[in-house]
Amino acid sequence: MPADTTEKNETMNRMLEYTVPLLGFGGAFLGLFIWMNALPVDVRITILGGLLSSCALAYLAWIQPRKDIVALTTPLYSIIFLGFPLDDVATIVLEFLYAVSLTILVVRLKRRFGVSASVSNTKNELAEPIRNYIEKIPDVLRNVSEESGHAAATVVIRFSCGDFHDAAWAADAEVAKLNDARAPRVVREAFAIVGEQAECLDKSFPAPPRFATFSSDAHHVLAKEPGSPGDTNDLYNSTLENALVLLFACAWAVSEQNRTDLLGQQEFVLQLLS
Amino acid sequence: MTIMDTLRTGYATCREHLRNTNVRVSVIALAVFVFFTILLFIASLFSIEIRSQLLLLIPVLFMLLVIPVALNYMSRRQYADLAPVYKDEAKTVRVKLISANMMGKPVRIEGVVERVYFQFLNRPQYLVADRSGAISVKMFTNPKDNVNLNDVVEVFGQVIPRYIVTGDPVINCVSIRKM
Repeated sequence: MPADTTEKNETMNRMLEYTVPLLGFGGAFLGLFIWMNALPVDVRITILGGLLSSCALAYLAWIQPRKDIVALTTPLYSIIFLGFPLDDVATIVLEFLYAVSLTILVVRLKRRFGVSASVSNTKNELAEPIRNYIEKIPDVLRNVSEESGHAAATVVIRFSCGDFHDAAWAADAEVAKLNDARAPRVVREAFAIVGEQAECLDKSFPAPPRFATFSSDAHHVLAKEPGSPGDTNDLYNSTLENALVLLFACAWAVSEQNRTDLLGQQEFVLQLLS
Repeated sequence: MTIMDTLRTGYATCREHLRNTNVRVSVIALAVFVFFTILLFIASLFSIEIRSQLLLLIPVLFMLLVIPVALNYMSRRQYADLAPVYKDEAKTVRVKLISANMMGKPVRIEGVVERVYFQFLNRPQYLVADRSGAISVKMFTNPKDNVNLNDVVEVFGQVIPRYIVTGDPVINCVSIRKM
């Protein structure tokens, strides 16, 4: 179950976050204990605590959608500490300072780069905002044919990759087909909007004074509020974003063969929805 | 043509290139040069060995300035040659439409500079924002215009990952100019 997996991942990530200071300071205190009691053990072995702590931090940094290069490179420092010969007191002081740094870095990672596991797992399953939108418009998606779904997938993928000419061509071709079919009008409008705007983007034209928009009775099936008619720029941009999100929804609902490719586009769609 | 004429022509050409290319030395390079000049001066006052090697050390000292200038000139020339290519091929997009799927694509954006980093290193990074969002613009040499905070700019560049192989999309800027 996706919700269970997400919860398990969140729990595991939270536990890993706690292990960073635990292992870092644990190693440092163990070193202090060994030194204070003059035990016949090399104090430098306790640097392994810092090494494991930094590996946990690097893993936590790696699974974030935005990578923190500082946290990712921390294991390198612990390897350098292991190899660099110091006396016992200097080793223990270094371990404490390293543990403090790792703790600060894990807090920084969580605050600046952290997202919930439900969003960070977008690579394997559909993100919640998109899923909610698809569940909101079943009447629209029911009447979309598989060919149109495939065409919608092609348009979205080409557009997100910056191939505006190909996206425009695919969208215009589908508009011509849909004029004869019984597809929902809002889907035809979405293809027309993307076709027009993709062509403008391909030629780096500014927004034209008149452009295709959704009809007023289609506003309730759009993902976002359409822009105010008084602000042409805002209306132009929000119309495109709504069209792309709608086409993504159509492609996902109808064209199962394209779902693997569409998963790679959902970061783009989430960006449009934000 | 005599050797002197050749040298004169070469010198004039270099000066012309340098003038057109607007070469700049970073503050760090200047600081390093000044530091080692003072160090060499003081060391030569107290050490006969160093005084005896000044004939070698002074040219090496000047290389601390010449090499950064030469590198800056080469990178500026390269960017100047690339700029027309990008101007032909780049598509004008809003920041919101730039995603990880567009890696490698040449783009043009317009926006306001919200933050400036590392200008003193001749490796400036800008945070450029338009109405749809903000994106990092990285440059590996100093730009022709003196771009500062709140300037409205036009950027030509290529979409690349922030950390070369991974990370969110940023723009590797070839040209940034004030509008």
